[in-house]
Amino acid sequence: MFVLGLEAPEIASSVRAGQFVNLGWAGGPLLRRPFSVYRADGDHIEVVLKAVGAGTAQLLGMELGDRVSCLGPLGRGFELAGRSAVLVSGGLGVAPMPLVVRDARTSGMEVTWVHGARTAAELCAEAEGDTLIWATDDGSQGFHGTAVAAAPDGDVVVACGPNRMLAAVAERWPHAQVAVETYMGCGTGVCLGCAVPLRRGGYDRACKEGPVYHAADIDWSALPSHLAYAVGA
Amino acid sequence: MTADLSVDISGMRLRGPVLAASGTFGYGTEVPLLERRALGAMVSKGIFLRAREGTAPPRIVETPGGMLNAIGLQGPGVEALIRDFAPSWAEWDFPVLVNINGESSSEYGELAARLDGVPGVAGFEINISCPNVEQGGLYFGNDPRAAAAVTEAVRRRTKLPVWVKLTPMVSDIGVIARAVEGAGADALCAINTFVGMSIDLNAYKPRLSFRTGGLSGPAIRPLAVHLAHQAARAVRIPVIGIGGITRAEDALEFLVAGCAAVQVGTATFVNPKAIADVHDGIAAFLEAKGFSALTDLPRYLPRD
Repeated sequence: MFVLGLEAPEIASSVRAGQFVNLGWAGGPLLRRPFSVYRADGDHIEVVLKAVGAGTAQLLGMELGDRVSCLGPLGRGFELAGRSAVLVSGGLGVAPMPLVVRDARTSGMEVTWVHGARTAAELCAEAEGDTLIWATDDGSQGFHGTAVAAAPDGDVVVACGPNRMLAAVAERWPHAQVAVETYMGCGTGVCLGCAVPLRRGGYDRACKEGPVYHAADIDWSALPSHLAYAVGA
Repeated sequence: MTADLSVDISGMRLRGPVLAASGTFGYGTEVPLLERRALGAMVSKGIFLRAREGTAPPRIVETPGGMLNAIGLQGPGVEALIRDFAPSWAEWDFPVLVNINGESSSEYGELAARLDGVPGVAGFEINISCPNVEQGGLYFGNDPRAAAAVTEAVRRRTKLPVWVKLTPMVSDIGVIARAVEGAGADALCAINTFVGMSIDLNAYKPRLSFRTGGLSGPAIRPLAVHLAHQAARAVRIPVIGIGGITRAEDALEFLVAGCAAVQVGTATFVNPKAIADVHDGIAAFLEAKGFSALTDLPRYLPRD
């Protein structure tokens, strides 16, 4: 996992936990790529990425001072109110969590962060909160099993990770707030490419009404669980 | 000196030749005002008489230099469009045309009749790339008689400008172009997306849940320039060029190839200011070449 910092003062000062930016760069893929904002401080924001394709490789190959077009903050973030917040993340689902910790603490909430990965080597080392719980599929660190199984209950449950993990979150906590991952075109609500199937029927847009949803509102059986961009990352 | 970019199309004077393509600008309300300053006109997201849910995800996939989409013409239906969007359009300083769709000629005609006279609706763009349910699902746009019948059905129900958006999935676009011109179209839009497919090699099936999608973006531009040129050679009415325009030079290719104006689509997804950038770039090109108006731009348009 890599952290990429960007100078983006307007976004840094206004972004809320769960919102994202849509990045485009010269020589990159045609469409922008969406990234949750990981941290924001002063004039800077950070995003996290894995080197999975040509596009992310280009981003990781950039030098200090290179320019990236950054559209945001986009989408609707998490609503954080109550006494305690439980954060459940898997893999790259760590992405929105540092801002969730920040916003939850601003609201005076006690924060428990449960992070899961396949192995200890794939865990994110940057977790924070009042209580930290690790979970690994192979038992190489912390709880042997999923982050969902390892997590306690809380007033607010916030989750981000693979859509399969979020479907399990929905089973256990229908009221949980989940940030879903979809293919995305414009990020601004016009292309209707990021359709999220709803339990009440029909679709809405991950980029506009989402990417944060109440877990019970999504038709998990119709939401693709595996994203495979054809070009780049 | 600022070059005069205004154009006259189907009785409408447009302040510039760069228009927003259907499906890439929503109903215009999602895009900030600043980004609309250079718009010659906007074509709305496609509408049917009734609301449509659209297709299941995945709906889009990126391919080299382009994207495939199968949105399925998701939309609220004509009554919601009239209630929720047309009132804003009536306030704007550029015309809005409604992209209309149907499963039969009579549905197109009904839509035109319902929208005719609604404040904010300046005209129609007929999407003939829809399956004709009454004719076994054959596409209107692939058959000159069906394309003409749809055009006529709309023409009979309105005095507003009627544009017809042509599909590239035909063996001779000139034949369709002449058929809809004869049926009363005021202008042609060339072209709609190409039908394409992309396969997920891990799942052994198409990436799009709808199996196929419409290919747009820079990948189709040379094909589109050729087809728009072929259409323009075939008719006397204006042709509006569409297909993979991201920069002023791309738009100028269509204009020199015989188009009266252009529509920008997919580029807006990447750059929300694409239309203004293309418009400004055309003005800069004309000024650099010493032309005072777009009408002075040399055209390459031998007539068939």
